[in-house]
Formats: sequence, structure tokens, C-alpha cells
Amino acid sequence: MEENILTTLKILIIGESGVGKSSLLLRFTQDNFDPEQTLTIGVDFKTKILNVDDNIVKLAIWDTAGQERFRTLTPSYYRDAQGAILVFDVSNYSTFTRLGNWLDELDIYSTKNNIIKMIVGNKIDVQHREVSREEGFAFARRYQTLYIETSAKTKDGVQSAFEELVRKIIQTPGLWDSFQNDNIHVGGNDQRNKSGCTSYCTLT
Amino acid sequence: MADILAETVHPDDLKKFEKIYHEQLYKNDVTPKAQFDYSWCLVRSKYASDIQKGIILLEELYRTHEEGRRDYLYYLAIGNARLKEYAKALGHVKAFLSIEPGNQQVLTLQQTIKKKMEKDGLLGMALAGGTLLAIGAAIGVGIRLAKALLCTKI
Ligand SMILES: Nc1nc2c(ncn2[C@@H]2O[C@H](COP(=O)(O)OP(=O)(O)OP(=O)(O)O)[C@@H](O)[C@H]2O)c(=O)[nH]1
Ligand SMILES: [Mg+2]
Repeated sequence: MEENILTTLKILIIGESGVGKSSLLLRFTQDNFDPEQTLTIGVDFKTKILNVDDNIVKLAIWDTAGQERFRTLTPSYYRDAQGAILVFDVSNYSTFTRLGNWLDELDIYSTKNNIIKMIVGNKIDVQHREVSREEGFAFARRYQTLYIETSAKTKDGVQSAFEELVRKIIQTPGLWDSFQNDNIHVGGNDQRNKSGCTSYCTLT
Repeated sequence: MADILAETVHPDDLKKFEKIYHEQLYKNDVTPKAQFDYSWCLVRSKYASDIQKGIILLEELYRTHEEGRRDYLYYLAIGNARLKEYAKALGHVKAFLSIEPGNQQVLTLQQTIKKKMEKDGLLGMALAGGTLLAIGAAIGVGIRLAKALLCTKI
């Protein structure tokens, strides 16, 4: 399966602290939920291989901390991201009003100008909603982003959110390239070693 | 191998936070925040000397600024792991988990460090000995790693 990977995509998750960014990622990568999920320190990272319309892609997902004290450094992780998931909590209106700031921040620090943005309204399992679906959707339309509602707790919408984002990225010309196998460059000759490998190692 | 230990700081970021730290140092008034931001960049540097410096600054913060201790422990673990000081790195992870046993992020870091240790150990052995495949098979290493080893040899 690894051999057929079309590309590696860098995905970013941002939004206020406590909206459920890490919970969404845990649900997506490990199909798990932790009611006592602890607040992220700095930045966390997970990978997942995803098949979207027969395109196999590897996702390198950066889960940023929403807490104020980490905000000076988290934007450096926006570099080269092809997709950004902006999360708010549908049961907490202030996390919705802050979305504008997150979008501004993304405009300032992301290096790819055609980066695909998706707004995610999380925690739809909660009884008391403060942001309606219509309001969330209207906001997303105004800023021309994708919109989806999820619950990391019940799984609702989580898989489709990531699939939809990846589908849109793949459909965007110039946003990704198929030679790029790894988003993290440790050393300059890393890539060459890898391609050399495929030709030598068919023996085993 | 993409993971939290392989990711490196952008030189511009390192410069930016180094400048802020040094300005404060010059005025003899370094805030824990400036010191932490700078250390966070340093421990993600490509250069061992930077990482070492980051560790020293984080250790100092750990002693003097109690509120941020979990943050400092986390990045101390990362810095030490990147220097291949695995015992120290795992020590910090353990200290963290003794306070917050269920922390997913730190449990993942622990796994990542152990994986890297295993890989380094295998690589070391493989380069010393001759029979790569035999070693690979004995330890039950996956075909992909065996391939990678063969390659480095060629
Ligand atoms: N009911 C419900 N609770 C959720 C959901 N998603 C997350 N939570 C809970 O909300 C709390 C915060 O979730 P996190 O995933 O840690 O939030 P975060 O956005 O990563 O926070 P930071 O790391 O500080 O930025 C945790 O107690 C989760 O269990 C959801 O869909 N429904
Ligand atoms: Mg989090």
C-alpha cells in the first residue's frame, strides 16, 4: 500500500482551546475518544494513510495547541500546509466568533495561497447548541471555506470531514505534487536515497 | 520517517525568538515566555549545540517557573531524544506520566522515542556486522527496514 501513495499532504488543525481538535484527530486516526483528553502542549503530530476516490494519500497532520501561551510559535507550523481545519465548538458561541481571527492568522502565515480551508463545527452531540447549523454554514460561505459538522464523541462526520478536505486538495491544481514523498526534510539528500532504494531493493 | 522528532525549526523562527530572548537578556529581564519560545526553537534545531542550549534553558525554567513544568518536561524529552539521549528523554516522559498517566500526547511521544531507539540500535548493529538480512530476520524487523539497511550498505 505504501508504494502506491500518490503524495503526502500537510494538514493543519487550528482553533480555540477545548473545541476538540485533538479529539477529532484521535477519532480519525485511532477511532477512539477520551472524555478526559488533556490540552495539547505546543503541537502534536499524527499520520494516516487515506484512500479517497482511489487516490491513496498520506496525511501528515499537525494538531496545534489553542491555549494562548503557545500562540507565538504555532503559526510556524502553518508553512507549506495544503489544508487547514478550523474547529469551533457548536455549544460555545465565543469559539465561533473567534473564527475570524483564525482565518486572518491563516492568511498571514500560510505559505500556499490556494490552501484549502474547512470550518468544522464540533460537539454536535451536546444537547444545548449555541451556534446553529445555518449560522455556521453562512459564515463558511461568506469566507468561501468548506463546512462540516462533527462529533468526535459519536464519530459523526469525522471521517467525511477529512475525506472532503483531501478530495478538494487533490482537485486543486498546483497545490500538491506527486514527487513529494515526505513533508519533513531532515537532510538534503534524503529524497535521493529513497529513490535509489527502490531500484536496488527489489531483490528482497 | 515523519514524526515529531524529525521536524526541524525554520531558521527565520530561530532567529526571531533568539533576538527577543537576547534583547531581554541584555536588559537583565528575561520572561519565562521568551525563554520558553526560544528553547522551543532550539530543541528543534538541526544542530546538536543548539539543542543542548535549549535543554539548558528548559532545565532552568523547570527549576524556576513551576506553572509551566509540564510544557518544559515535554520539550526536554523531545530535545534529549533528538540528541539520542534516550535514557534521559524517557526519564522526562516518565516523570510527566507519573503526574498525568493518561496523557495521549506524551504516551505517543514515548512510543516514538522507543521506536527511534529500536531503529538506531538496529542500524548500529547492522553497520557493525555483515549479515544484514540474518540480523533483520532474527529481530523480526519488517521487510521495509531490511530494505533500507541493504540500501545504506550499497
Ligand atoms: N461531548 C463532546 N465532547 C468533546 C467532543 N470533542 C471533544 N470533546 C471534549 O472536549 C474537551 C477538549 O477537547 P480537546 O480535543 O482536548 O480540545 P483541543 O481543541 O485539542 O484543545 P487544545 O489542545 O487546548 O487546543 C475534552 O474533554 C474532550 O473530551 C465532542 O465531539 N463531544
Ligand atoms: Mg489539543
